[in-house]
Amino acid sequence: MRRTRWLLVPIIVIPVTWLLLSGFSRDPREVASPLIGRPAPEWTLTTLDGETLSSNDLAGRPYVVNFWASWCIPACVDEHPVLADAFARFGDDVEFVGILYQDDPAAAAGFLGRYGDAGYPHVMDPGGRMAIEFGVTGPPETFFVDAAGNVADKNFGPLTDAVMAEKLNSIMPAASR
Amino acid sequence: MIPSIGHAAIVVGFGLTLYSLAAHVLAGRSGDARLSVSARRAIIGSFVAAGVGCLAMIVSLLTHDFSVLYVAENNATTTPPFISVISLWAALEGSILFWTLLATGWAALVLHRYRARHRALMPWVGATLSAVNLFFFAVMVWPGNPFLLTAPVGSEGSGPNALLQNHPFMALHPPLLYLGYTGLAVPFAFGIAALITRRLDEEWLRIVRRWTLVPWIFLTLGIVAGAWWSYEVLGWGGYWAWDPVENAALLPWLTATAFVHSAMVAERRGGLKIWTAALVIATFVLTLVGTFLTRSGIVASVHSFTQSAIGPWFLGAIVISLVASLTLLVWRLPQLVGGGRASGTVSRESAFLFNNVLFLGLTFAVLFGTLLPLIVASTSGDTISVGAPWFNTVTVPIFVALLFLMGVGPALPWGTASWTTVRSRFITPLAVAAATTALALVAGLREAVPLGTLALAAFVGTIMLDEIVRGARSRARARSEDPATATWHLATRNRRRYGGYTVHLGVLVMAVAVAISSGLASDRTVTLAPGESAEIGGYVIRHDRLAIEPLASDARVIETRAEVTYSGPQSGTLATALRDYPNSQAAIATPAVRTSLAEDLYVTLLASDAATGAVTLHLFLNPLVVWIWIGGAIVGLGAGFAIWPERRPRTVEVAEAHQAPAAAMVEGT
Amino acid sequence: MIRWWPAAAVGLAFAVAALAVITILTPSGSTPDQRADALAGELRCPDCQGLSVADSPTQSAREIRRQIDGLVGEGASDDAVRQHFVDRYGEWILLAPTAPAAWILPYAAILAGSIALAAWLRARRSSNAPPSPTLTEDERRRIRADAEALDA
Repeated sequence: MRRTRWLLVPIIVIPVTWLLLSGFSRDPREVASPLIGRPAPEWTLTTLDGETLSSNDLAGRPYVVNFWASWCIPACVDEHPVLADAFARFGDDVEFVGILYQDDPAAAAGFLGRYGDAGYPHVMDPGGRMAIEFGVTGPPETFFVDAAGNVADKNFGPLTDAVMAEKLNSIMPAASR
Repeated sequence: MIPSIGHAAIVVGFGLTLYSLAAHVLAGRSGDARLSVSARRAIIGSFVAAGVGCLAMIVSLLTHDFSVLYVAENNATTTPPFISVISLWAALEGSILFWTLLATGWAALVLHRYRARHRALMPWVGATLSAVNLFFFAVMVWPGNPFLLTAPVGSEGSGPNALLQNHPFMALHPPLLYLGYTGLAVPFAFGIAALITRRLDEEWLRIVRRWTLVPWIFLTLGIVAGAWWSYEVLGWGGYWAWDPVENAALLPWLTATAFVHSAMVAERRGGLKIWTAALVIATFVLTLVGTFLTRSGIVASVHSFTQSAIGPWFLGAIVISLVASLTLLVWRLPQLVGGGRASGTVSRESAFLFNNVLFLGLTFAVLFGTLLPLIVASTSGDTISVGAPWFNTVTVPIFVALLFLMGVGPALPWGTASWTTVRSRFITPLAVAAATTALALVAGLREAVPLGTLALAAFVGTIMLDEIVRGARSRARARSEDPATATWHLATRNRRRYGGYTVHLGVLVMAVAVAISSGLASDRTVTLAPGESAEIGGYVIRHDRLAIEPLASDARVIETRAEVTYSGPQSGTLATALRDYPNSQAAIATPAVRTSLAEDLYVTLLASDAATGAVTLHLFLNPLVVWIWIGGAIVGLGAGFAIWPERRPRTVEVAEAHQAPAAAMVEGT
Repeated sequence: MIRWWPAAAVGLAFAVAALAVITILTPSGSTPDQRADALAGELRCPDCQGLSVADSPTQSAREIRRQIDGLVGEGASDDAVRQHFVDRYGEWILLAPTAPAAWILPYAAILAGSIALAAWLRARRSSNAPPSPTLTEDERRRIRADAEALDA
């Protein structure tokens, strides 16, 4: 019971400290996605302009799917220019599609009017079925699909230029990077 | 000007607390009485400083002073005055300011109360409390300044969090809870002081038991108020979701309750010094951990304040308190081991100590469940959930076992029990339990959990009643009093015991109410056009009209309100609404609850169609819910009765210490 | 007999409680609606804070409920329905962890605690000395100090 009892202090303190510290480097709301490495869900939805767009139309090329909403402030507002910029620079090689999350067309159009329409299509997700297929817990969430149709990466929360560049690299054809 | 006063007050408070810490430590080492006095005055000064700070914040909120960032984020020109005042604790920085007010208040109270006694202990009690308060002042001076200014000053603020405006309990739940949390630093301070001065004895136990019970009452009421509030406000028909923040409040409550019971054993039979000291330390550390979980953002919860720089500070405080208290405990370990008289395996002591095993088991389970997602994420990167299904399945059997012990424990004598005593004590209660179960089955109750709980409640209730009646009868006979007077006299002369009975009665009431309200609740979702009706239980609900209009009290809020008429065991009208607050993306539900002693009729608006006036309603019939709150009040009253000072004048402390064993033998308490 | 009584009593209490719990766990009925209700209680609502799909009014919860109803209607087993959502969200969508260790650990802790308590009680009894009727030196010294403090 002599010297060894002092071991009690580090035995209790160190694991507790490590555990609570480790919590700081993560966002507790982020959920690890089981979709990564597997074929992306297929969809056929209506765009804001009233046309029909399907994932099959995008087959054979890499594409980015971004779930967003007009009420998702400030996160979706913050990442909006990042997406617009990426589309402007890499839109020839990578398709971009926005999927509205629990939103209505008028509000979405208003958002695009206020913050700028980059030019890529946005589709409605009535009932939220596609959000469930992709395992979305709340906007913004972005999925990066490669040319083979598999989900290569996912971003939880608003995108930054650095993260966008890094994740685009994983799906873009080597020549265009 | 006002914000500057507030900020200055906080800085002054920090300085005073720093002085108090140093002076108390010096007084403890040198025994200088004047240092003690000056240190105590510094603590009282820090309480005044915190008060000035709170006042400054309240004034800023009432005057909608948007130059203060906290006010700009939590207040608006349309905010009603009542809401402005209680917004003091609505968000992170303000809540820490309020917390500090209460913490310094407790410190001032304790130091003032014992200013002429326990001269060896009090300086170290003051030092510990000063250290704790210093941390909170430091948080306000550096990362979490409530009076941070913002520029340019807006003409309008964001307004209070929508969920916090809906219900008057916002004024009740946080203050009660904080009084509990902050008060639990006091037994901790006595524990540290006792470890430093090596005075872990019956005197210490008596003080700490009392100063644990007082904050315990507030914590209990605060937790029950929180459950009641979420039931009335959140709209899912339940009152406890095992959300991390709810668990955070429960954890110190569990260890504090365990302490109160093992302290009784320690007082009667001696020993258990390490265990009681460890419990007191654990309770305080758990209050810090709970506050940390709420404020650090590392666990997602209904309640989380936004993630901020304050998190790491709280982690630092937890680590420092853990290291300091554990080191002290380990250092004194050789001197604390042993002591105390043994008792039989079947005795009140073993029942109380086994109750501790169960309470600590519960604490471990709740802590484990709350932290498991974090543990898994940090080790493997996977995300898992631990929600109500896991918590309910794991904790319910432990609660049931505790309920059983609650009946058995007080019925067993101290020392060793003989088989004959045991058998004679429990035969009748078992019979009553069996009869109650039979009656319930005949009455139509078939669910296992409510039946089991009713049986257990009958068992425990009969034991308690037997104890009280037996005592009253013998006293009535001896003193020729009528039973009621006899019971009252017994109760006022044995406050601890009868207070304990009342607390246990409250717990019984809550247990039965929880079991039946969750087991026998019914609900349905219906869509009604204006004029249509639906049935649930014995009620008929008719949808009258759908109204969409701004709130009378705050024009920025648009309310979509369904007005219904209900008829059945009771009749009347209800209005349930969805409110659109400008700073919240989702509409906030305002369920309508019609409470009666037998059941609650609970109606939530899920969706509406403005064109047709149709509404989708979620209807609930929750039996016996009001008894949960009543039971909670009984628990609070019982504990209050237990610690209420007795009228018998206290003779000199020295002599009392010798009388205690003799008195215990005579009165059998 | 006396020695085993408390253990037996508490064991009985646990058994009763366990029985009650098992009754909660087993699906209360096998009609499609009851199965769907039970499953909705096991799945987490994606955009709530810890609520189950059964308790939540959000759009995602309603959509998941629709999908549960559809799958159950097509004849999918309970496991298949759970797997459908785990495929999309991972284990996170389940409100209770599947690993057996997560369920056993708390009870293992209680068992360990009970054993420790029993051992401690036995040790105390065997090393028990009768209470000293006279004061120890420590107590004597403290009484003197307290008395002086009162006189001061």
